[in-house]
Amino acid sequence: MKADDQFNPPRWPLWLLAKICPHVHLEILRGDLLELYIERRSAFSKWKADLYYILESLDLSWRSLAFDGKTQNSNNAAMLKNYFKITYRNFLRQKVYSFINLTGLAMGIACAILIFIYINDELSYDKFHSKSHRTYRVLEKFESEGVGEHSASLPFPTGPALKLDFGRQVEHAVRFFNFQSPSLALANKAADKGFNEPNIFFADSTFFDVFDFEMISGDKATALDEPNTILITRSMAKKYFENEDPMGQILEFQGNQNLVVKGVLEDTPTNAHFQFDFIVSFSSLKQSFGGGYPGSWYWNPCWTYIVLEENTQPSELLAMFPEFVLKYFPDFVKEDITLELQPLEDIHLTSKLDYEITANSDMSNIYIFGMVAVFVLLIAAINFINLSTARANKRAKEVGVRKSLGSMKSQLVNQFIFESILFSLLSLIIAVLIVILVLPYFNSLTEKSVSPSILLQPIFAFGLLGLSLAIGLLSGFYPAFVLSSFKTVSVLKNNHLKTNGLNFRRILVTAQFTISIMLIVGAFIVLKQLDFLQNKDAGFDEENVVMIPVIRSPMGDHYESFKTLALQNSSIKSITAVEEIVGSKFQVGNYQFEGMDESKPYPRFNVRHDFISTMNIPLADGRAYDQAIQTDDSLALIVNESLVKNLGWEVDEAVGKRFSFRNQMKGQIVGVVKDYNFASKHHPIAPLVITLNTHPRAFNLFIKYVAVKIDGTQLENALGSLEEAWTAVLPARPFDFFFLDDRLNDSYKSEQKLSSITLVFSILAIIVACLGLFGLATFNVEQRTKEIGVRKVLGIETKGILVLLSREFMLLIGLAFLIAIPLSYYSLTQWLNGFAFRTSIELWPFLVAGVLTFAISMITIIFHAFKASHINPVDTLKYE
Amino acid sequence: MKHTQLGEFEELVLLVVGNLDDDAYSISIKNTLKEKTKRSPSIGALHSALNRLEKKGFISSHEGGATNERGGRRKRFYEITSYGRKALDQSFELRSSLYHTLPKWSYES
Repeated sequence: MKADDQFNPPRWPLWLLAKICPHVHLEILRGDLLELYIERRSAFSKWKADLYYILESLDLSWRSLAFDGKTQNSNNAAMLKNYFKITYRNFLRQKVYSFINLTGLAMGIACAILIFIYINDELSYDKFHSKSHRTYRVLEKFESEGVGEHSASLPFPTGPALKLDFGRQVEHAVRFFNFQSPSLALANKAADKGFNEPNIFFADSTFFDVFDFEMISGDKATALDEPNTILITRSMAKKYFENEDPMGQILEFQGNQNLVVKGVLEDTPTNAHFQFDFIVSFSSLKQSFGGGYPGSWYWNPCWTYIVLEENTQPSELLAMFPEFVLKYFPDFVKEDITLELQPLEDIHLTSKLDYEITANSDMSNIYIFGMVAVFVLLIAAINFINLSTARANKRAKEVGVRKSLGSMKSQLVNQFIFESILFSLLSLIIAVLIVILVLPYFNSLTEKSVSPSILLQPIFAFGLLGLSLAIGLLSGFYPAFVLSSFKTVSVLKNNHLKTNGLNFRRILVTAQFTISIMLIVGAFIVLKQLDFLQNKDAGFDEENVVMIPVIRSPMGDHYESFKTLALQNSSIKSITAVEEIVGSKFQVGNYQFEGMDESKPYPRFNVRHDFISTMNIPLADGRAYDQAIQTDDSLALIVNESLVKNLGWEVDEAVGKRFSFRNQMKGQIVGVVKDYNFASKHHPIAPLVITLNTHPRAFNLFIKYVAVKIDGTQLENALGSLEEAWTAVLPARPFDFFFLDDRLNDSYKSEQKLSSITLVFSILAIIVACLGLFGLATFNVEQRTKEIGVRKVLGIETKGILVLLSREFMLLIGLAFLIAIPLSYYSLTQWLNGFAFRTSIELWPFLVAGVLTFAISMITIIFHAFKASHINPVDTLKYE
Repeated sequence: MKHTQLGEFEELVLLVVGNLDDDAYSISIKNTLKEKTKRSPSIGALHSALNRLEKKGFISSHEGGATNERGGRRKRFYEITSYGRKALDQSFELRSSLYHTLPKWSYES
């Protein structure tokens, strides 16, 4: 008995086998199974061996049932065989019902599987690091009375200072830096290959102490120790070095720094909240900052992650942060700064801060998807219940015969539940096939790369099995009791039964259509909100604006000549240069305006001349920056209306107000622009300072893009002349650009996914619901053939038949519509409240959803009405 | 030949049972089959085949003593009957006689 203790296969398969298999063989088979199991346990993981064990016992059970049962028999086996046979015959006799049942349920389960795959993937973000549960990102909240920033990144010295001051609590700290630039240039000079790379990060040598990214070649312990070393991912190795060995090769960074490849990493897993292609050793940065790291505690460009010691609570550290802030941060910002800790595992689903590395997903999407999955399953299960009870009459005789032969009610219940479980298992198989087929499309829809092998994972495999068993049980439960409760005598005497469960069926149909209508309305509103976010007038003109990344390029010295050259072409309308992507990001600066006691942080935007005209931002008062006025660079400021209101001024009295910067009286406000969305529309419009910065060195930090307004009708001409002008001034650097409106749409990725997924699944939901309706209508017609025959004899027209058949359903759908309106209105209002800028909920999505549902169900029923109208009364009436 | 009706898989199993002599029980038969034919029949399929063979009278079986390795459960040992041996002989004869009358293969063409 020792073996039993060591290796524990699941018990239930044997129990099943014992029920079915004749006793003479049982012991031998058990022995065989156990021996194989023990053998496999030494070769495979437990769950694999378990799976084989289960499959084999099921196989044996099935075989003894199907083949060996004839001669030596147990009563259970005979009964089960009979159930199988009856199920099979019923399946064949009622092909339409069976088909609808199977497809409906299979589609429902397939939808649910897909959504669960998605949710599972979303929840798995950043959990693959062994220390993920005690890794935190440090955040900086730099706000005064709600104005400022809530930043995911921190000043350069923060990471090391945290490690130094809190050595007992902080095990490791790592910083990331990327010059806050959307892309940086890398080149393999030997092969003459250069690209602007978006996913390049400078990281401390503690990178691998915090994160567990897989390394293919190189040494994790030392890879980032020295300056001028770089780690690249597998696909980047291919891109730059093709089949050569990348180790020890040189990549040139921004045309002025050589980096040695010291390691190749596996491509970043898709479920990491930041995606990198290159990791450069942090010490390589010293060259760019005159030999050291920037010591400023004001500028906060470094994403900082810390690993807490085991058993250290984040609250312990949080309690010490205020002191830390007082110790290090400069006096003029101390009061406005709070440091926070954000668990690494929460970043992907909850974080919507300023300066995220990439836009994150949203927890509410997970809830919504989960609900959609449950809804679709519910609709499919309701189909099953409805159709089973509806055709109960057809099986009444069988029940009667069984009862009169001594079948107990419990046996009948068992039989029908057995049937429905069989159906749901069959649907599960079909559903899995569907999932395997559509997974590639689903992946491209959701931008994930999930492989079908995920279904073999124990949670999924057993979860699905459990799910379909549960669906089988639940949806078989009610029909089983309805069917088994028939009275033997009345059933056998007379085949006109009272329509059993009619009211229950009506409730279920109403529920189905309520859910469908809610899903459709939801999809409409989500689409509308997405459209609103993407297309609502942002207060500036984002169309036909070409953005050219120029940070840390020599562009600073050539800007004016580039501008002059490019403007010679008529397709180029206007050129400016900006600090961040307009409408997406901003920086923060401390300003003190007239009437304030001390400086405060304000969102700030560095620009060159012609910013306001290029972006087409209307002026509320005053003037734009003027090339002819030299002092504009330092003594003038443009602000937005929100800032004016925030300071309690009227718009027309703002111009001329004085301001100081870095504690020096500087100059005055020269212009006020109307509010525009300088950050994504997830955020309300805050006060903003637009400052002119013409210093050529600004291109190292404060100016990141040249923005060009082009003539949309001469796109190619414009891009061609831009590239020409670029090559004329900077021949050594690759020309790179993107369109502003494209990039801005990326800010709404999570809403895009939400809308496409809800749309797809609400369409599927209505299809499944209509399948059920089709089945019910079929049943209805069958049941009323005689009535229709009589009515036809009396001269009813097709129209009349249509009304006759559809009236009940239409009433139910109308009722569903009435229920769906307040429910969906309430839940959508809740959802929309999460947005700073939100679309209004209008009447039309409800009307469209209602009309759509009516129309689709009408079409479903009309088919039957026509079929019924062609019935020859003679056929139906002579049936008697 | 009609009355023997030996399927391809059954014939293989029968041959293995004959070969294994005293040690022919389900798992050893399965392992030998896997080793020789590179295909691994499920334990269910194997038991079906063994049952069929026994019903047809090609093999006989008896239960062995309890062993520790299988959690104290007994094995069922199989041995080939003379009738089974005859069936194998017949099948072999039929095959080889047909094989020998195959036209010679010309490798040149």
